[in-house]
Amino acid sequence: MSEPAAVERPSGRAAGQDMETLVGYILQVGVLLSAALLAVGLLWHWADTGSPRLDYTIGGLSFFQFLLADLRQALGGAVRPRLLVSLGIATLLLTPYLRVAASFLYFALVARDGKYTAFTGFVWAVLTYSLFLR
Amino acid sequence: MLPEALFLVSVAAGFVGAMSGMGGGVVLIPALTLLGMDIKQAIAISIVSVVATSSGAAAAYVRDRLTNLKVGMFLEMFTIVGALAGASLTLVVPARPLYVAFGLVLLVTWTTLLLQRQQSESTAAPQDAFTHWLDCDGSYYDQASGQVVAYHAVRAYLGGPLMCGAGLIAGLLGVGAGAIKVLIFDVAMGLPTKVATTTSNLIIGVTALAGTSVYLAGGLIDPGLAAPVILGILLGAFVGTRLLVRLRNQAIRRFFLIVLLALGVEMIVRGMRGGL
Repeated sequence: MSEPAAVERPSGRAAGQDMETLVGYILQVGVLLSAALLAVGLLWHWADTGSPRLDYTIGGLSFFQFLLADLRQALGGAVRPRLLVSLGIATLLLTPYLRVAASFLYFALVARDGKYTAFTGFVWAVLTYSLFLR
Repeated sequence: MLPEALFLVSVAAGFVGAMSGMGGGVVLIPALTLLGMDIKQAIAISIVSVVATSSGAAAAYVRDRLTNLKVGMFLEMFTIVGALAGASLTLVVPARPLYVAFGLVLLVTWTTLLLQRQQSESTAAPQDAFTHWLDCDGSYYDQASGQVVAYHAVRAYLGGPLMCGAGLIAGLLGVGAGAIKVLIFDVAMGLPTKVATTTSNLIIGVTALAGTSVYLAGGLIDPGLAAPVILGILLGAFVGTRLLVRLRNQAIRRFFLIVLLALGVEMIVRGMRGGL
């Protein structure tokens, strides 16, 4: 109310900028964390066994099952190079997923923009479905 | 396949991809198949690494307020559907048509980059009702001229279906298909070049994730092979992008582009002749 008229900050623009900060932050942290986990996992494995070759595949698991299995292992205190690499891959894939989820919540709760809530909601739903594929 | 070799090849692919503007995947996949990797596995590993390079680059662009988030989020609806279809197709088709398709896409990308205009002007075309309804006009601060450039998008009804096609190619071949997306933004939707490249980068990450989910379910993603590739391509792209900003030299980009021509032709020849 008391804000001088000279400081022009249309609400749409300000709201957009909040979201840009949020989206940029999620992407940056996600990629750096993922790269760190992968690098530490690989180097640790290399130091342990004398070879950087880590032999395992993710067979017949959906992404969420893969993620749950990793988290259970991590909580069980069994931190091993293989687990770090798995968590690195999981973090990487969660990064754009969380970016979409955050945009959806932002459009729905903060910007209250029905159109873009629907758009990002659709993308979020399709991605969630696809990560359940097995 | 040795992880050390994978890492080094990926550093080179990320570097050349950034320097040429082709993107890492387009260089990585032919290189991996030359090392003896099955093309479907190379595609699957490449698309995971595309999630990494896209997200890393998009983070900086988004914070610099160059990306148009609304345009990106509207078009993501189309690219992810295309990517799911494309990746599902790759799981069932034989390898040889994939080589040919890959070579063709590489050559088309190559041509668009070689002919690329330096800086396209935002079109003055009148905005249609649908794009107006999307409410996605924007502006950005142009460092070169020191001015705020305002723009509006047009023909979003055309951009959507075209982006579905770009997503299909991305999922099918495990690449970002960034050059194709930029072309759609530029020609169909009239966005300024800076906004087109940065917004394309944003939606590549989500598109690649949709493709990745299919390859993950298909059991084609081996974390022990994917990890050195992701780290290598991130490093190569990081160095390449920094160097490119400093050089600002078209000759270097063209040099790398000429080198890449051979990769495209080679993929088509291998697909045609068989004996992979």
